[in-house]
Amino acid sequence: MQSNASLEYDYSLAKKFTYLTILFGFLGMLVGTLIAAQMAFPELNYLLGEYGTFSRLRPVHTNTVVFGFTVSGIFATWFYLGQRVLKVSLAESRFLMVLGNIQFWLYLVGVLAATVSLVLGYSTSKEYAQYEWPFDIVIILVWVLWGINMMGLIGIRREKALYISVWYYLACFLGIAMLYLFNNMEIPTYFASGGLGNPMHSVSMYSGTNDALVQWWYGHNAVAFGFTVPIVGMIYYFLPKESGQAIYSYKLSLLSFWGLMFVYLWAGSHHLLWTTVPDWMQTMGSAFSIVLILPSWGSAINMLLTMKGEWNQLTENPLIKFMVLASTFYMLSTIEGPIQAIRSVNAIAHFTDWIPGHVHDGVLGWVVFMMMAAIFHMTPRMFKREIYSRKLMEFQFWLQTIAVVLYFTSMWIAGITQGMMWRAVDEYGNLMYSFIETVVILEPYYMIRTLSGVMYLIGFMMFAYNIYKTVTAGRKLSTEPQFRTPMA
Amino acid sequence: MNTVTIKFLAFSAILMTATISVVMSLDIEIFEDTTNTLTIFGIVIPLSINMLTMAGAIAIAVITSMVTGKYIHQMKTDTATGKLAEESWDGIGEYKNELPSGWAYTFLGLFIWSMWYGFIGYPINAYSQIGEYNEEVLAYNKKFEHKHKNADEETLKKMGESIFSVQCSQCHGEKGDGLSGRAEDFTQKSTESILKIINEGQNALHSFPGGMPGGMASGQDAEDIAKYVASGFKGTEPPMYAVCGGCHGANGEGVEMVGPRINGFDMKNTLAKGKKGLIGEMPAFNTLITPIQEKALTVYIQSLSN
Amino acid sequence: MFHWLEKNPFFFAAAISIVISFAGLIEIVPNFTQAGRPLIDMKPRTVLEIAGKNVYMKDNCMACHSQMIRPFKSETDRYGAYSLSGEYAYDRPFLWGSKRTGPDLHRIGNYRTTDWHEAHMLNPPLIVPGSIMPAYDHQFVNLADIETAYAEAVTVKNVFHTPYGPEVRRGREAWEAYKPTLIEEARKIASDMKDPRVIEAMKKGDVPEVVALIAYMNSLK
Ligand code: HEC
Ligand code: HEC
Ligand code: HEC
Ligand code: HEM
Ligand code: HEM
Ligand SMILES: [Ca+2]
Ligand SMILES: [Ca+2]
Ligand SMILES: [Cu+2]
Repeated sequence: MQSNASLEYDYSLAKKFTYLTILFGFLGMLVGTLIAAQMAFPELNYLLGEYGTFSRLRPVHTNTVVFGFTVSGIFATWFYLGQRVLKVSLAESRFLMVLGNIQFWLYLVGVLAATVSLVLGYSTSKEYAQYEWPFDIVIILVWVLWGINMMGLIGIRREKALYISVWYYLACFLGIAMLYLFNNMEIPTYFASGGLGNPMHSVSMYSGTNDALVQWWYGHNAVAFGFTVPIVGMIYYFLPKESGQAIYSYKLSLLSFWGLMFVYLWAGSHHLLWTTVPDWMQTMGSAFSIVLILPSWGSAINMLLTMKGEWNQLTENPLIKFMVLASTFYMLSTIEGPIQAIRSVNAIAHFTDWIPGHVHDGVLGWVVFMMMAAIFHMTPRMFKREIYSRKLMEFQFWLQTIAVVLYFTSMWIAGITQGMMWRAVDEYGNLMYSFIETVVILEPYYMIRTLSGVMYLIGFMMFAYNIYKTVTAGRKLSTEPQFRTPMA
Repeated sequence: MNTVTIKFLAFSAILMTATISVVMSLDIEIFEDTTNTLTIFGIVIPLSINMLTMAGAIAIAVITSMVTGKYIHQMKTDTATGKLAEESWDGIGEYKNELPSGWAYTFLGLFIWSMWYGFIGYPINAYSQIGEYNEEVLAYNKKFEHKHKNADEETLKKMGESIFSVQCSQCHGEKGDGLSGRAEDFTQKSTESILKIINEGQNALHSFPGGMPGGMASGQDAEDIAKYVASGFKGTEPPMYAVCGGCHGANGEGVEMVGPRINGFDMKNTLAKGKKGLIGEMPAFNTLITPIQEKALTVYIQSLSN
Repeated sequence: MFHWLEKNPFFFAAAISIVISFAGLIEIVPNFTQAGRPLIDMKPRTVLEIAGKNVYMKDNCMACHSQMIRPFKSETDRYGAYSLSGEYAYDRPFLWGSKRTGPDLHRIGNYRTTDWHEAHMLNPPLIVPGSIMPAYDHQFVNLADIETAYAEAVTVKNVFHTPYGPEVRRGREAWEAYKPTLIEEARKIASDMKDPRVIEAMKKGDVPEVVALIAYMNSLK
């Protein structure tokens, strides 16, 4: 075995994608907070004329956090930890370096242009796949470039056995490639009609119920291979690395991974319960969703057990706090989802605010927390500087934790209330509430959610500031820290 | 139980109490009796969607609290042990520990349960959600339709009021005043508009292809009739009303296929086919309103102008 | 055996691909021909209605509105008969939505009318006090992209055999020939509307977005 010290890793790509992660994270959450506020204060719809309505901005929010923030974070962490666990530097291959840089610029331009197109109203309307066909092509190209880069790096690796994180990044690449391609099959109408109309416009290859099936096969598994698989890949690296603890159980890693791969794909139809999708598919989606708790919890439990006996680290190192809390929220959202996938519960939960509540347990508590922890861990090593302020980090941690709790509790109550109001009948057997009554009653919860958005966003800005100060003014380090991240 | 778990559980209890009290404050029954039941070992448990949802919410909160609480507490009390694997990646080692047995058995158990769910609970080729819907409707009819067959005026009025608020208020306003001229104002019938119809005729209801010709009465006669009709047939009947009675019935109660009811609002024909008049267009409500609901709406709407 | 796999990235990737592919094959493929079948006698949307559907997509109404009436008595009481698969057979994309911040719209054509929509789109809280729906004033100014709607009709006819008549075919000439039919259809809708901007535009033979949108909503039955 070769020692690490002799290898000089190339972090230039990891750094670039880290900047983008922070940029898109900020933009996405800014818009998220704005649309949250618009639901509480509808007057805010008119700040930007036609381009500022809730309905135009909602997909800007979702696509920016998914394709901007999360994907950047996946790339940033891969270009950092990929080299390290494969024990090979990117700089050893000029080809991979060039490829990586093309990927970066194409991605940046592509995502920015796609975001503008959404604001302008170009949308194919399939959730998380709203980008019109020209941008789909760019996204697919970027993805393929990343895949080649990953395979290339694996090809020239020195570490024979693939580390667990690599399994997850590999699955992320393969899964998204397959899903994105099939769900975005669309035909540009300009070319099929002999040059009529807008060249950007397209129609879906699938129609009606079939389109819904393909979309939610995609939508659910985009969550799987975007918000779950790569993030699990991250925690499997950053938690043991930061804490210096060995992974609790190889067997548990193994079963959780293959269990997740096998079970996840079956569960997509839980987004289509009680619709016109055949009953047997709904049943499968429901059943597999419940089973899915276990492979999901397996990874989280493996992480929590890795920290066995390390209470002092938990209380002293805010980075460990971030990751332990992320695991906890991961467990919360992966039991909440399955229970919402039970037919009877879904009858109430579907279409209500309980679903965005569930979503943000996962994304705010798990995805963003994990991503910030990863960046906090990487920055001192990439820039050879100490974290600028530990106090700020502590404060940010508590601010954002309270924000997530406010978000999910308010939407939990709002969703259950609304779902039950829609069904309520009066003593005569007629509907008890008009629709608008079920809207008006949610106002206080929408206000609480807005507050939580503001708090979370401020926390994220504190994070960005901390990183900025670390890079520019953090105390210089002479050697790379082995485990615990140094902070002032 | 350890302190971490207890804290988490306490938080869950607050959240669930808040949820339940909000829902109860809206007069929504969580534990209503239903025809759906679950039988476990001969014990019959009544099930409602609301109850199952609350149970689900409690399960999320409690199970997450117990399990995460347990593992986080272990950070305090336990120590890491086990045999290390030979490999290490970037300094990360790996224990060869066995699976946590609780996890492994639950996994196995749930897999077996999922088979039960798919083949026995909701048999893959036998369960039908439309079948369940039909049962729901039948159960509903058993519970309510019979109960209100011979409802009195007061009941009908209250019933009508709540149906109106759900289905009609978006156009006619919560108070039935027509939202300043956007739709029919049920709080008053104006003499002028009736006079206008007498003079000019009307063809707005979709139930009478020919409509009503204008000019069948004029001058003082027309005014007297209009006043009489607008008042809801109160006072003495002007002799010339006989002209109208031919089509609208002696008391203005309407004649099938000939003329609409005018001693109030013609609910029956408006709901069946809609109306497109001077104010705007009223859609037909022939599928959304049942006969008993129509009766209730009629009582309620007539009461608005009295 | 697993350790062997972890040292062979190629087979590892192949194993992942196999494990994640077959759920899709089993769950999606068998239903494909069946669920795509339209109801008997069902007509595809007119070009004007397609233009309206595209406004619905452009302003992303499905952020707040569903078009899927589930088989519960509470929903059929509120919105009408539960939705059937065949009703969506010509919908590309499907527009079921996943959030009901506002009510379901799958049968909105049954119980709302043109004049109501006009007033509502212009200022929702004025019509429904407490509404949090944004006002869509710009739809009264922007013109609907009817040419793209025609291009869409031509595309689905030629590629997916959606049953449009011979008047829907490739090329600019066919479009110019078709256009008057569309304007006529739009005029019928607009005749129930009062907004001066709409009246002005229709006089010039233009179709504001809101007219197309209302045509689309009226067709949702
Ligand atoms: C030839 C038969 C006929 C006669 C006679 C007649 N009506 Fe009518 N009336 C109708 C019909 C048919 C309608 C429904 C027209 C429509 O479709 O809007 C109507 C509608 C009305 C309406 C409006 C009801 C509504 O719900 O919109 C009023 C008020 C009315 N008639 C009053 C009178 C009065 C007062 C007279 C006597 C002067 C009279 N009618 C004589 C046939 C008649
Ligand atoms: C989409 C808007 C809308 C809805 C919803 C609506 N109405 Fe109307 N309604 C109207 C308009 C507009 C008119 C006036 C038509 C005219 O005379 O120009 C009207 C007229 C009527 C009339 C006719 C009065 C008369 O005798 O001439 C009755 C009765 C009526 N509505 C009852 C109802 C009831 C009951 C409901 C609910 C089940 C309801 N409406 C829902 C718009 C609506
Ligand atoms: C911010 C959320 C939101 C957006 C975006 C939105 N709506 Fe609404 N919509 C509502 C709410 C809330 C209601 C119920 C209150 C009301 O009728 O205004 C509603 C009601 C409606 C209704 C009346 C339905 C009924 O049964 O009474 C129609 C029609 C409608 N919206 C159409 C649209 C269209 C078309 C768009 C897009 C151009 C749109 N909405 C965008 C929230 C929204
Ligand atoms: C065991 C794992 C999970 C299961 C079984 C599950 C199940 C569900 C269910 C049933 C819904 C609601 C569908 C509806 O009624 O509309 C849903 C929605 C959603 N979940 Fe999960 N969930 C899981 C984990 C997660 C995680 C970890 C995240 C994110 C980090 C997540 C993100 C989402 C998103 C974004 C939606 C919204 C989809 C939409 O736009 O409608 N889920 N999930
Ligand atoms: C400041 C933090 C955030 C706030 C205030 C916020 C707010 C919102 C709001 C208001 C909605 C619309 C809900 C509705 O239509 O009812 C939404 C949707 C969504 N957000 Fe966020 N958001 C934030 C951060 C994020 C992040 C970081 C992610 C992902 C990494 C994310 C992912 C999503 C997704 C996937 C949806 C769609 C959910 C669905 O369709 O069910 N959000 N968000
Ligand atoms: Ca797309
Ligand atoms: Ca959604
Ligand atoms: Cu899902």
